Amino acid sequence: MKCFSRYLPYLFRPSSTILSSSCHTEADIISTVEFNPTGELLATGDKGGRVVVFQREQESKNQPHRRGEYNVYSTFQSHEPEFDYLKSLEIEEKINKIRWLPQQNAAYFLLSTNDKTVKLWKVSERDKRPEGYNLKDEEGRIRDPTTITALRPMDLMVEATPRRVFSNAHTYHINSISVNSDYETYMSTDDLRINLWNLEITNRSFNIVDIKPANMEMLTEVITAAEFQPSQCNTFVYSSSKGSIRLCDMRASALCDNHSKLFEEPEDPSNRSFFSEIISSISDVKFSHSGRYLMTRDYLTVKVWDLNMESKPLETYQVHDYLRSKLCSLYENDCIFDKFECVWNGSDSVIMTGSYNNFFRMFDRNTKRDVTLEASRENSKPRAILKPRKVCVGGKRRKDEISVDSLDFSKKILHSAWHPSENIIAVAATNNLYIFQDKVN
Amino acid sequence: MEYKVEAHRIMSISLGKIYNSRVQRGGIKLHKNLLVSLVLRSARQVYLRDYYGGICLSAQQAREWCEGEYMDSEQDKLVPGSTESLPESDGQSEVAVDKQEPSNVVESHAALDVESEASGEQDHAENGVLDSGCSELKTPEESPEASPTCEVSNVVTTISSNCISGPPPSNPKQATETPNGCQTDDGESVEEKLHEPIVPHTCTNRKRSADDSELTDSLPKKTKVMSSTLISKNDEKKAETEEMDTSNVSSLITIFGSSFSGLLSSEDGAQPDSEAEDSDSGQICCDQMLKNLNPWSTAIVAF
Repeated sequence: MKCFSRYLPYLFRPSSTILSSSCHTEADIISTVEFNPTGELLATGDKGGRVVVFQREQESKNQPHRRGEYNVYSTFQSHEPEFDYLKSLEIEEKINKIRWLPQQNAAYFLLSTNDKTVKLWKVSERDKRPEGYNLKDEEGRIRDPTTITALRPMDLMVEATPRRVFSNAHTYHINSISVNSDYETYMSTDDLRINLWNLEITNRSFNIVDIKPANMEMLTEVITAAEFQPSQCNTFVYSSSKGSIRLCDMRASALCDNHSKLFEEPEDPSNRSFFSEIISSISDVKFSHSGRYLMTRDYLTVKVWDLNMESKPLETYQVHDYLRSKLCSLYENDCIFDKFECVWNGSDSVIMTGSYNNFFRMFDRNTKRDVTLEASRENSKPRAILKPRKVCVGGKRRKDEISVDSLDFSKKILHSAWHPSENIIAVAATNNLYIFQDKVN
Repeated sequence: MEYKVEAHRIMSISLGKIYNSRVQRGGIKLHKNLLVSLVLRSARQVYLRDYYGGICLSAQQAREWCEGEYMDSEQDKLVPGSTESLPESDGQSEVAVDKQEPSNVVESHAALDVESEASGEQDHAENGVLDSGCSELKTPEESPEASPTCEVSNVVTTISSNCISGPPPSNPKQATETPNGCQTDDGESVEEKLHEPIVPHTCTNRKRSADDSELTDSLPKKTKVMSSTLISKNDEKKAETEEMDTSNVSSLITIFGSSFSGLLSSEDGAQPDSEAEDSDSGQICCDQMLKNLNPWSTAIVAF
């Protein structure tokens, strides 16, 4: 019997295994997490340029308690470090984003990108192999040519092959990629430009947004993220470091420098500080599955926007407002530059985003309830329920609460993903991947 | 003073980040460096504003010393205020402008009397706009008045009863001179002349270093700390002051005659002017800091 509440708090349980590398090096830090459109596969990219794909186990009568667990399906090296000799710059192999293509045949396709190059990978299974090459059989008779080679079963092998490499189109660092709903094109976004590609063509891309000023000294804002609208192939949005989001229609003109809509909330003058500009910079933008709403994440808040209302967000949720008084020290230790991502659940009723101390937060848009959960080994015994956590802001600290000064700022959850239809979440905490499912066995 | 030290610290940290970004793996991250330079700009504005407050104050002071008898009478009024507390001035903007305040309050009164038709409305508006931070300035001409009067407005109640007995007859002259002195090119030459007598003793006090204490030592003669009540008010109004930074920056920029467009162009635009001021006044301890910003602008251009 399966029962879980429709609204928060969900009862999340960890799987029996926490997927992580045994020894923690910088290269093992997970830099992106993404479910494929069916939720059957989960891909992670790390700083070492590797992609690990997990597959959900099928239901089996023999081991019912292992239903729905994710196991490693394929691992491959997507990007290698490169050196730009012209600029004397090293190009990091860190995978910035992975996006899955919808499945059209037996193979799976995903796009992975580092700072400069996007690659299309095909992940496919092989369970048969051709055997038999002798033209004559054992007794010396010539064999019928049509029976020389036959496919024989073999152990299942999953292989990943690069099918396309889209390179040399970006001067600045690529921060996001987004597959269009037409399944033919996708866009890649760097700090100042957005390029549109055809999935089949690697030697040509079209520039659709260019905000580079004629004089670089006049630079005031950069693009931080961009995404296609999930159902309209002509519409996309991009967010800026100034806290604004622009919606563009590709039918209007070839170069979408002029936005169709501008979503911006005026700054609250009472909150002004040295760091106001930094904390208003948007780190992630995501359309809802319905395509009607937009979610943006800046340093301290998550906002949900209605595409029909540009003047202010529909909802604003405080993720960790207790950090507002600590901005100076967060600036010193560089934490203020952390780019948190945000995700919708399948029904667009709950949104989730990460915080520090391996905390992540969920906000139910309907009941306005929110919960703080922690991704840690101690709290993640199999089949245990995740206990809500609380940060104590001031005054007396209760027993289970943690004070702001005790937060570990080196443990941050920047990347997470939510299964497209079920209540399964994948949370990346540094080099560990936690998968939580909401169900009762 | 706290936020001046804070501003200086943030500037150092920001410059350190920009420097380190040049050697980190993966090349210079445009977004992060843009944000760091925004913080650097804000901190610099606060830092320079305090300093500029001191310069303007010294200009005021010198003019006052130069003029005649009525100046002595003013000083008589001011001296009781000055002996109240020592020039501990840690460079708080309110503190730095304290000495200016009486004369400015006088100015504003005078302005109301004399220039009531022309600018009276605006003065009223300024005085009425007290706590909103004076962030909206009607005209550039108003801004130099706006900044001191903004800060004045915070403590006008405490000061006015103490210092001001009534506008001396030659105040209109003072009122008309002062805004000019702070604004136009003619004013700048006036300022330069005024800077000269000041230069010697500022030179002795200031060194070309990032040491705040030396800078504050140079300000004492110009600043009169009114009272501890002022300081407590200053703490409360700190948030407002940061708001006022915008207005003070605008006044700074108009005074220097540069436009405020773009990020680095503002820095670049302000830089040559501030460097010009450097040559006038001799040494400014953040001169090094300002000069260091040049490599960054070339780095940006390199993109």
